[in-house]
Amino acid sequence: MRKRILAVAGYVAAALTLFVALSVPFVLMGGIAKAFAQAGFNLAPVYSGGTVARTIERNGYRIQVYQPVRPRPFQNGEPFVQVAFVPASALPAQICEEIDLDGYGRPDVRVSFAVPSNPQTPMRGDVQALNDRYDTLTGIGADSYSRFLARTGDRIVLRIPLPRHD
Amino acid sequence: MTILPFTMAAGEALALGFATGPVCVATCGPVVVPWMLAQSEGVRRHGLQLGLFMTARLTGYLLFGAAVWLAGAAIPRAWTGRSWLLGAVQVLLAVSLAAYPTGWPRRRPKCAQRPEPLVQIGEPMRGKARSALALGFLTGINICPPFLVAGVRAVQLDSLSASLLFFALFFVGTAVWFLPLLSLGLLRRTPAVVTVARAAALLLACWYGFSGVLVLIERVIYG
Amino acid sequence: MSAPAFRSVGRSMLLTVPMALWSLLMFTPSFLHAGPDSRIACGVVAAFMTVLFYQMMRTGTTYRWRRYFFVALGLLFPVGFIASLVAVRGSMSIPIERMVSGDTPFCYMVTPMLIIPAALTRTLIFPGSILPTASNPHSIAAMIGIWLAMTLVLGKAWCSYACFFGGIEEGFAALPKHARIRKLDPRFRLAPWAILLAVVLLSAVMFEPVYCMWLCPFKTVTEFPAVRDAETALQFGIFVALFLGLVVALPLLTKKRTQCGFFCPFGAFQSLFNKINVFDIRFDRTKCVDCGSCRSACPTMAITAESVREGKTLLNCMKCGACVDSCKKDAAVWHVKGTAVAGKPERARLLFLYGAWAMATMFGGSVLAHGVATLIHFVARN
Repeated sequence: MRKRILAVAGYVAAALTLFVALSVPFVLMGGIAKAFAQAGFNLAPVYSGGTVARTIERNGYRIQVYQPVRPRPFQNGEPFVQVAFVPASALPAQICEEIDLDGYGRPDVRVSFAVPSNPQTPMRGDVQALNDRYDTLTGIGADSYSRFLARTGDRIVLRIPLPRHD
Repeated sequence: MTILPFTMAAGEALALGFATGPVCVATCGPVVVPWMLAQSEGVRRHGLQLGLFMTARLTGYLLFGAAVWLAGAAIPRAWTGRSWLLGAVQVLLAVSLAAYPTGWPRRRPKCAQRPEPLVQIGEPMRGKARSALALGFLTGINICPPFLVAGVRAVQLDSLSASLLFFALFFVGTAVWFLPLLSLGLLRRTPAVVTVARAAALLLACWYGFSGVLVLIERVIYG
Repeated sequence: MSAPAFRSVGRSMLLTVPMALWSLLMFTPSFLHAGPDSRIACGVVAAFMTVLFYQMMRTGTTYRWRRYFFVALGLLFPVGFIASLVAVRGSMSIPIERMVSGDTPFCYMVTPMLIIPAALTRTLIFPGSILPTASNPHSIAAMIGIWLAMTLVLGKAWCSYACFFGGIEEGFAALPKHARIRKLDPRFRLAPWAILLAVVLLSAVMFEPVYCMWLCPFKTVTEFPAVRDAETALQFGIFVALFLGLVVALPLLTKKRTQCGFFCPFGAFQSLFNKINVFDIRFDRTKCVDCGSCRSACPTMAITAESVREGKTLLNCMKCGACVDSCKKDAAVWHVKGTAVAGKPERARLLFLYGAWAMATMFGGSVLAHGVATLIHFVARN
């Protein structure tokens, strides 16, 4: 009797597996993807740049200053703060902005770069420190996760290294 | 320097430890998990071994707490000596992790005894106190950022004993997160499980050794 | 040597009809909306998958026909993938801008390394995008959806019917007539578990996918972080060395899937799903003569003398069917858990194959079609 029950259960499970297989492209994989997307995960800040701390409105575009990103105890990389200029298509040909990075009401750096008309063109820019908390950087490009200036999609992303002892 | 009432500091120590506990477990995980899996099963045996590990870890914490208080200043994050210490600790961790599965240092065999195989893969070994103590102490003095934050607070206390008590409470806050590791004692220890754990320990030893040597080379080159 | 007929032509075709209809269903949308290259590719691949399934029905064997599909998948996936990379960004290397913009396609092999950081901090340690975008349809959510849905059907058979890397070494393993290295330490098959444990723990500490950054041999035929300093040069060197060693040289010498069986941590992770999968391979002890041909045939050493005595394979069995097809006494059989061993093995095989081949056609078939379309486009253009 027990053997019979187990056998029936086995075949029922096999049939269910077949049913699941048929539902994969129509229901299951999309359903799992949707559930996963809504589960509240975030990308690691070293890749995403973290969360936006404040937005500065300009004429036709905005500057998003992000929360500082600090590497985990054994993670490679330097701490940085990301600044995004959005949308890239609305930016003037030359950007020269003084930006308050830490939210204390005083500009910390002066950022300057040319916005290329071709989105594929590599970018180079300068970051001049306005106080001794930051370092002046010249010719910054897509160098590393923490020293970065490039167009990504319809925004220009700049990452400025923070002092390690911050 | 502000002298904090210790009652406030005690609550802060526990909260800081509890908040950073997952980071501690994740950081210690590569050291603790393969080492525990390579031992014979039994929650009681694991409790003893984990207890030894945590005791040695606490010793590291207390040593650090005493050192910062006596120095009279918190260790700044920019302290270049931190890299030397980190590199050295990682190399020592690598040696300790590799020593356990390879059965090093090896006892000289008695005359009629077969020599021990070079790599002890496949048989559960009884937990060795010296490996628990070495691994626990080395993870205890691994100076990671939550540790440094605790150091900043401890320096502001008015006595050495207060600093030590602060670090002890910080330790207790992190230690709570290690309790679930006792469940590893329930896992059945087949030769396959022990082999996997030891091989993983050897791989991780290679990683820590490689990482530690890189840090030391960077220090030598860049100063 | 041709496989002996097991079933009549008529019955074989009848059993193939559902799979032919499934192929039509899977390929018709692409066929209707794509250009001439893709239409030809869809037709070719649909016919290919249907013919292979027919052969499985006609001959009563599985491994050989499945291998044709799997090797084709291993060869054509890089063709289509690399062509797409070169078309979009001019090279196989991933510039850092792509990682910051979240345009890195998600590879299912990262999945085990995501678990601890996601569980503890709700953070995904992969430079992709969670939702599909115009520039990255292979988002994390989409690929997790595909992987998990298919794993519920296949279990570890993912490594025989879905993984688009395993076919490369299976192809190399099939080339020599005999193995030059016959004796392999059985503990090697535990190495993937050790690597899995190590990379999962390290990824939680480093907060990056350690296997992908340092150990994946298949970066050599897909994409890799752009070489810009000593560290990335070392990483690339390791990828190439592992590929040449584990995917090319050792399969040629041993006739085993050495990367899959002795290295891949994702394979070890996927083995866990065999515990909940209802299909497995068993050994009928009343028929088994302990000749060892199943052990020799198994590409990943998932069968030992002890496991045969217990009547089953090890947890890392990928249900490729090699042991069943090699057994001269019909002692190795397909099995549905809970049922009698060797009660109705062909029924078990059919139930398994319909699900597995449906997944292979849906997922692998689309990859094959993309690869074939790329080749047609390349040939037509030149």
